[in-house]
Amino acid sequence: MKFALFTGCVSKGATRELMVSTMKTAEALGIDFVEMKSAACCGAGVVSEQSPILADALNARSLAIAEEQNLDMVTICSTCQGILKKSECKLDSDEEYKEKVNYVLKEGGHQYTGGKIKLKHFANILATPEGLEMLKSKVVRPLEGLKVAAFYGCYVLRPSEQSEYDDPDNPTGMEDIFEALGATPVYYESRVKCCGFPIVMMNKKASHDMAGNALADAIQSGADVVVTGCPLCHLSLDSYQPEIDKLKQLGYSVPILHLPQLVALALGIDSKELEIHKHIVSTPNFENKLAKLGAA
Amino acid sequence: MATFKIKRYNPEIQREPYYEEFQYDPPEGTTLLDSLNEIKWTQDGTLSYRMSCRSAICGSCAVKANGHAILACQRQAEHVIKNDTVVLEPLGNMKPIKDLVVDFDPFWEKINKVTPYLKPEETKPEKERHQSQAQFSIIDDSSTCIMCGACYSDCNVLEVDDNFLGPAALAKAQRFVGDSRDKDRKARVEQLSEPGGIWDCTHCGECVERCPKPAEPFHRIKEIMTVALEEGVHNNNGARHALSFTKSIKHSGRLNENVLPVESIGFLGVKGIVNLVQDNLKMLMQGKVPTVIKDVFGLIPVGLRMLKKGKIPPIIHHSVDDVDDVKRIFKELKQ
Amino acid sequence: MRAALEVSKELDVAILTKVYPSRSHSGAAQGGIAASLANSEDDSWEEHMFDTCKGGDYLNDQDAVEEYVKSASRVIYELEHMGCVFSRDKDGKIAQRAFGGHSKPRACYSADRTGHAILHALHEQLLKNAKSIKIYNEWYMHSLIVEEGRCKGVVVSDIRTGEVEVMQAKAVIFCTGGYGRVFKITSNAFAGTADGVIAAYRAGIPLQDTEFVQFHPSGLWRQGILFSEAARGEGGTLLNSKGERFMEQYAPSRMELAPRDIVARAEQSEIDEGRGIDGKDYIHLDLTHLGEARIMERLPQIRQLGIDFIGVDCVNEKLPIQPTAHYSMGGIPTDMFGQVVIDDKGTPLTGFFAAGECACVSVHGANRLGTNSLLEAVVFGERSGRSALEFAREAELQPLNEKHQKTKTLNLFEEIYQRDGTESYNDIRNEMKEVMMSQCGVFRDEKRLKDCISKIKSLQTRYKKGKITDKGNLFNTELYEIIELGNMLKMGEIIATGALNRKESRGGHFRKDFPERDDTNFLKHSLLSEADDGEGIQINYKDVTITRYKPAKREY
Repeated sequence: MKFALFTGCVSKGATRELMVSTMKTAEALGIDFVEMKSAACCGAGVVSEQSPILADALNARSLAIAEEQNLDMVTICSTCQGILKKSECKLDSDEEYKEKVNYVLKEGGHQYTGGKIKLKHFANILATPEGLEMLKSKVVRPLEGLKVAAFYGCYVLRPSEQSEYDDPDNPTGMEDIFEALGATPVYYESRVKCCGFPIVMMNKKASHDMAGNALADAIQSGADVVVTGCPLCHLSLDSYQPEIDKLKQLGYSVPILHLPQLVALALGIDSKELEIHKHIVSTPNFENKLAKLGAA
Repeated sequence: MATFKIKRYNPEIQREPYYEEFQYDPPEGTTLLDSLNEIKWTQDGTLSYRMSCRSAICGSCAVKANGHAILACQRQAEHVIKNDTVVLEPLGNMKPIKDLVVDFDPFWEKINKVTPYLKPEETKPEKERHQSQAQFSIIDDSSTCIMCGACYSDCNVLEVDDNFLGPAALAKAQRFVGDSRDKDRKARVEQLSEPGGIWDCTHCGECVERCPKPAEPFHRIKEIMTVALEEGVHNNNGARHALSFTKSIKHSGRLNENVLPVESIGFLGVKGIVNLVQDNLKMLMQGKVPTVIKDVFGLIPVGLRMLKKGKIPPIIHHSVDDVDDVKRIFKELKQ
Repeated sequence: MRAALEVSKELDVAILTKVYPSRSHSGAAQGGIAASLANSEDDSWEEHMFDTCKGGDYLNDQDAVEEYVKSASRVIYELEHMGCVFSRDKDGKIAQRAFGGHSKPRACYSADRTGHAILHALHEQLLKNAKSIKIYNEWYMHSLIVEEGRCKGVVVSDIRTGEVEVMQAKAVIFCTGGYGRVFKITSNAFAGTADGVIAAYRAGIPLQDTEFVQFHPSGLWRQGILFSEAARGEGGTLLNSKGERFMEQYAPSRMELAPRDIVARAEQSEIDEGRGIDGKDYIHLDLTHLGEARIMERLPQIRQLGIDFIGVDCVNEKLPIQPTAHYSMGGIPTDMFGQVVIDDKGTPLTGFFAAGECACVSVHGANRLGTNSLLEAVVFGERSGRSALEFAREAELQPLNEKHQKTKTLNLFEEIYQRDGTESYNDIRNEMKEVMMSQCGVFRDEKRLKDCISKIKSLQTRYKKGKITDKGNLFNTELYEIIELGNMLKMGEIIATGALNRKESRGGHFRKDFPERDDTNFLKHSLLSEADDGEGIQINYKDVTITRYKPAKREY
């Protein structure tokens, strides 16, 4: 399997461990990721605040680059996935708009056609029946007894009209992956809610409250670890967890993993290689559980 | 036969809410509201909820079904019944009065806060004001709002911050911000850029998902943001965050995470810094703690923590390949 | 709301509603509001007036119609100036489209949610003028206080707390809507239960022309909710089981855009004669030839309603429709200034005004044209508001017997709580709706109407033997539904009594045993009032005012 990999900005910046673990996981699964080095940022729904057409033009350019490579495009960030998909939907549903955007791209040598390649989150390619079979066959350290709570990230789920990811209210893709890895999924209400990251600069307390409520919900549901497909959710839930703890008095800290890290652990890759130690939150409980699985 | 598990609440009788199960088999082609009525009229007359038009236009009958806000009259019963069960609860983010009836007063108070009426030029033409079809299309979607409160119920920000105006009021605001006949555009976006306004929206998209009409508040909020930036209403973290973000993409094709937080709190361009100094001096003179100090101190712990773990983004910010093409696109679109 | 705005220009005003102002049923009006703006084709108020009178089968009071259509353009420009959202033509003017019974495209519209646009524009003005307009949400009006021949206020209760209060006022305006809920298939909201009309009747005011109920041709099959006439205005066709455009047989020149009474009768005839789709009681509304783009631009809500309510996407499939009780031409008699009058001589009831569907001016005569009701609500909202303002400016609050007035309602509550019978209110309501639909619906005759009246009377007796389960004060919707049912049972009797008495066919009232219009005996308004015993109904008549257009044969 070969894909064009849209890395996004954060996996090259504050969460480089996501990039590292993604490449290790891909290697172990025999997936060939070709990094899209000239693709620009998806805009994160922020560039479109200033100029919707600018955001769509940048994303049309990225999609066009994948088309040129004739490879399906994979993202490792719920935000990138959601925002790129939204642009794709807008362009595909409005020929006139697509033409306008292509006119802007023309001089750079790119043209977006649409319908030629598929745009998917890494979780999407693993959560198919074939993907799950493959995972099961490659698991060397089943994560038995590990209770894993998914945190999806808003952008892949909503607006569902423009996401085509999963059932927006009852997604199951991540949990299916956890099961394939031998872990026990934890279902809790907040798994489809917002992590608060987009407003951390504007309304810090509300942002931390949102993240805190989600963490409390996961903890109360018995989660050993929360796994997210979005590095922004990761920043909110992990990097800010000390502030959140102060605000919400959680009384318990919970480690947050990137999805590829969890997969890689089950595939037998050492947690150091996955740079899990770079996370702000690391708890003895989790380390112990991992040790028992022989994964630490 | 389906089970309707309904959250009951009647403080005249019992302080705490509880769930009660009703068995009812809805005929094909009937709505969830039809089911509620049949249950009320044939099983338990005390069951209370609001309803009126039953054609998805009056906005009375919004409730939560299986945890998410919907209009009861707009949904076929069979579509909301999952595994022979549907759980019905009052809307969220509002105080329950009785059963599925909630107190809408705070909702209306927020609508009132956005100056929810047109402020046109004083002089009236003899006939209608002209408005092009393109101008009409800007307010077409927001004007479909029926004030049902479904978005308000499921808004992730309102769950944690009462001060947020919320999706319905902001969609109503867009109805006027985008109206070519309104003369108060700038004043409106200034007011909407204050804390509790547009920049407090967390982009979760719940309101789009729950909206029973094309009003879809989140999209409208984004439209107001664009107008606010166009109108030069930049003196707040939200606007600066957007400007800094876009600037970073323009220069390198990629986000510079080291610069973004600092620019967002005010260190953005010469003019921005001048503003920042002026505003904060004013606060100091008024005996208030300048916000920039709070903001900077807010950034320090998380920054140090990340630094310690080696999580700080590279100090030297690398551009994407072929960044010139990215720059060209910005130029082409006059950004 | 339009009336309140008018009053608020000088005086304080309270709006009392059993829902919330923005949830009123005017919001469900879809297709448009009529005015001879002549934005797309030459048009004049005279033509609008002629169409309205012909559409109303010449039972309209033409002096009122003239004032009404002459005001149309002005009130629409006023709405536009307030901020009402209208669809636009390519010049940026208010767009106008064709509508049933109108000879020119004069329906101003906001896609297919015109009522909603107007309702919200007016609501915005209420919020703007909140200093002088106080809104009482979710309050129920029980009775009109008339003492010494003068209106002094209303008795009301707060649905949220069950508290009964007397609301004293210098002037009272009723804008309480219609009573479609007495019929099984109806486009009306649950709120359309005759409360205001019956309160007036109980206060000794006769009701005018209540036998004229409009059945709208395009109600969703079984549900009755509305698919706007705009669907036909935009080119939608009606087909029977053989795929025939049957309107060719009934109104060859106007086809699907004949007035509603004619189209509804044509549909019912097709259904009764076995040409309903699959032999069932519906026919098809076909929009598939309009194309997705036009439907999305002009009729987006209708498309969504079809998808949500019956799983039919009108872009590709035909919509199943049947006639649905839609509008009451009759109601509380008023003069052309919104002043309520209590007899054939035009004697006013001091301090009492009415406007909108609950009132009968009468501008609609025996059948209302589409888009004329929103216009009526706005024009006569303004006029009744103006009249009430002028009256109240000089008037004094009148002393009234508050205790006595309140006790009547408290006693009613108590009586309902005390009932300990075995009858089901639900059965009574369903049986009423069924009999009104089948015996007093699109087609009527003496036997059916007599059956109908006797059935309604027996239901009224059974109604006294029901039993309430909710005896609490808090948001007791069951209590209010029972009170509304009481009002509807009386209303049903009044409609059927008027229909039995009118031995002719005119507009929305069609007697199979008297299929022709009879101008010799029935070119007059009926006035139905409570007999002295409080039970019976007595009938009087009032002359029709004819100024410009003499009654002529009505063909389309």
